[in-house]
Amino acid sequence: MLEMQIWFYTGCALVILGTIGTVIGPGVKDPIVRILNTEIPAVGVSLIFLSYNHVLALLTFIAATVIITLILLRAVVRLEEMGAEV
Amino acid sequence: MIVPEVVPAITVSLFLPALYVGLLVGFIALLGISFQKKDLHALILTDIVGVGMLIIVAAVGTDLAEALILPGLVVQLAEIMAISEILMSREMRKTGKKVSFMPMPLKMNMEILKTAPNFLSLVLIVYGIFLTGFTGGAVAGVGILFYALSRKSRGLPFKLWEGVSGISGVAWCIWLAGFLILFVTPEIWLLGLLMSSFGILLKVASKMGLIGVLGREEIKRD
Repeated sequence: MLEMQIWFYTGCALVILGTIGTVIGPGVKDPIVRILNTEIPAVGVSLIFLSYNHVLALLTFIAATVIITLILLRAVVRLEEMGAEV
Repeated sequence: MIVPEVVPAITVSLFLPALYVGLLVGFIALLGISFQKKDLHALILTDIVGVGMLIIVAAVGTDLAEALILPGLVVQLAEIMAISEILMSREMRKTGKKVSFMPMPLKMNMEILKTAPNFLSLVLIVYGIFLTGFTGGAVAGVGILFYALSRKSRGLPFKLWEGVSGISGVAWCIWLAGFLILFVTPEIWLLGLLMSSFGILLKVASKMGLIGVLGREEIKRD
């Protein structure tokens, strides 16, 4: 049986790496790449919630992340259709 | 001792690492925002700042954390939705171009969208009312939203949506009164519990009225 701390620290590492990747990672000039990079901290936060047994918060977080990704992708597509600089 | 006895030792031992990770993530993301010139990229980085907030709240580690994370998530969602709408409408005013309200790669012209919504949304709403509380509100709200989105072509009853927004405010008051009863007169706790659980059910379910208001704006534009 793996220790609970393993999941916690894996989550912490994913969150920090994912945040650095979202801020200065390769190819983040493209907003779609930046949106996809935000999924890595989301997985890290899910692991942290899991290690604290926050089931309801974890389920709500997964649903909210999906909706936020859809909203951001819609914003990117609409802004590009208008010919704006994104 | 500040930490109560009921908090497990492992949660206490993980508090400081989680706090530092949350602060570090928030700092990196805010630094990224401050160097960012484009608004859309700043909006995406706001999402990461929310992640830092969630880790700090989760580090409290009891039911209190769970109770604080849910409103945090809802507020973050509403904030990103509102700011993205503002960005798009500003750009629309600047360029004067009209674009589709919901850009889709496929034509959503399926037969199931005309026949299934009545039954599916009824099942979701009944199950949501059976659950009550925050989760039940979310389930019932998904049912209402599904009905509204799939019936968009036939036009939404807008007067009804405004009424739903009104119910939302009244339900909020019922929720608060239920909590007040729990603290002021604990003898009738069952009444307070039922008032607050049904209040939050109506509140969360009717939040989807926001989507209906968005739909109204779109039909006015056409």
